[in-house]
Amino acid sequence: MAGSSPAWTLRRLLALWRFYGAMDLKWMMRDARSLLLWTLSDVITAISAVASTLLLAARFNGIGRWSTPQITFMLGYALLVGMIPNIFFNYNVAYISRRIGRGQFDHVLVQPQPLWMILLTEGFSPFTTMLGLLPALALLAWPLGRGVHTVTIGWLAAFGLNVVASVAIALSFSLIVGSLAFWAPRAAEEINSSSWHLLESLKLFPLDGMGAGLTATLLTAVPAGFLAWYPSRALLGIDGAGYAILVTPLAAVVAVLLATWVFRRGLRQYGRTGSQRYLSFGHRR
Amino acid sequence: MAARDRSAISRSDTVVELSGVHKVYRQRQRSANLSQVLSSLLHPTIREVEALRGIDLRVQRGEIVAYAGPNGAGKSTTVKLLSGLLAPDAGSVRVLGLDPIRDRTRYVSRIGVVFGQRTELWWDQPIAASFEWKRVVWDIPRERYVRMLGLLQEVLGLHEFFHSLARELSLGQKMRADLGMALLHEPEILFLDEPTLGLDVLAKRDILTFITDINRRQHVTIMVTSHDMADLEQLAGRVVMIHRGSIAYDGDFDRLRREYADRRRLSIESVGPAPLLDGAQLVSSAGGRHEYVFDAAHVKIAALLDQASAQTEVLDVETHRAPIDDVIADIYEAWQREAGAPVPAPTS
Repeated sequence: MAGSSPAWTLRRLLALWRFYGAMDLKWMMRDARSLLLWTLSDVITAISAVASTLLLAARFNGIGRWSTPQITFMLGYALLVGMIPNIFFNYNVAYISRRIGRGQFDHVLVQPQPLWMILLTEGFSPFTTMLGLLPALALLAWPLGRGVHTVTIGWLAAFGLNVVASVAIALSFSLIVGSLAFWAPRAAEEINSSSWHLLESLKLFPLDGMGAGLTATLLTAVPAGFLAWYPSRALLGIDGAGYAILVTPLAAVVAVLLATWVFRRGLRQYGRTGSQRYLSFGHRR
Repeated sequence: MAARDRSAISRSDTVVELSGVHKVYRQRQRSANLSQVLSSLLHPTIREVEALRGIDLRVQRGEIVAYAGPNGAGKSTTVKLLSGLLAPDAGSVRVLGLDPIRDRTRYVSRIGVVFGQRTELWWDQPIAASFEWKRVVWDIPRERYVRMLGLLQEVLGLHEFFHSLARELSLGQKMRADLGMALLHEPEILFLDEPTLGLDVLAKRDILTFITDINRRQHVTIMVTSHDMADLEQLAGRVVMIHRGSIAYDGDFDRLRREYADRRRLSIESVGPAPLLDGAQLVSSAGGRHEYVFDAAHVKIAALLDQASAQTEVLDVETHRAPIDDVIADIYEAWQREAGAPVPAPTS
């Protein structure tokens, strides 16, 4: 592996994304029936996940300070933030506890690339997951079409930054929790299923009116508040403070640093103990 | 490094160097007794298992080294240390002049690893896609990829299943594909952990032939572990035997047989019942043919034949070396009997 300049790194990233994307496309074209069923079930699951909050908002003409279009925007944002890890971090990269707990991390360590590069590219599967974005985009487009907020280039940039930050927070949380599998491979093998479920179910409600302690918990220990509520509030101007739009990106920086620290400690533990068990289940399928 | 460049390098280079390597695992002890389960929540009992106790090992470029030992001896731990998957608690591991953990990315681009019970193949993709994956991730130049792919397809017979899905292949085909993948980037060293596990006789023969062939053609240094000593004897000139985390023997198979026990089999065909031979053990007797085992280091074959002739009319005699598995079984048995006592083993 030659070079480590930014240009070389970018070239490698693009080459790897291109390769994994092409592999995903070929798989999709080979097994169209399974793909159709999976996509359909993904779309139904996504719609079902937001249905209860959406129906509540429609029935009571909004929830608290939030109007129905604002709630719809927040739900669209939540779905988008939930879908992006599927697109970029498939093959259990987002569910890292499975790879660690099953001893499959050895397969990562024998690849001649920095770990961050492997984790950033290996799960890229845009074609098989892309259709799951449709409900998210529809839920975002409808309130924006009804003028819930003026769309400008600057606002779109802030929107993009906040979405990336929310995804980074979700993945960092997943990495921190999943790293427990370094210390308890069997017990924590499936812990990321629970951690993702926790985030997915808590991110769908506006947290205004909660007690300060609970709100703080939902912005730190279990950062579900940063996956839709807080950034939507900032983007829609519900929280009038000008700096609010930067809070989620700053929280993301802290979350990524913390996740990196925990993961590195986990890796050191892995170097000491290795994997005491190996299951092939879920490896590259 | 391409094979043609590598061949110019002295074959006497040391490529693997383990010095005083210790590895200890800590195991929490569990009890079936409820009160002990409760007390161990507060005061867990930890047992320390010394997987490796000050291993010193050097391997020269181009060698095939068999790494053998009973279950739990420390074979897989050593392979994991050499693959950069584990760090030693003490001592140093240097391979190709690199530290497998600290220089991980540079290091793994120069080695190949195959674990017999695992696969690097993409399960739901054709083998061709896994090879292409290897080319992209290892950043193998196109010219080298095409050349190595041609060679590997030829010697491993990959053509017949190159476009089949990995999950559709037999165990032997998967192992051939995994070996091919491991060699695609022309590694200087190949670590093979139980590469013939579960394979049928034909598949095993193909794999063994391939390993010796690739060592000869590409000058790849190979370290291979297996429980099947006959496989190892067929492959390697040098065998390193590990027992309770220490190297108990390092040398060739002939010396191993001589120094531990030169076990032979003697087959006598006679008219009457099996003669009783002092210094040999009767293992089977049917249809006038009697099979004995004896240690040729201590018992002369002529003396056995004299005894037999004195007791019965000998019609035919055959003698041959016992299979290496029998020799190894004797050694393991002796080690078990010594139950933890230091093994008085010669090392070269």
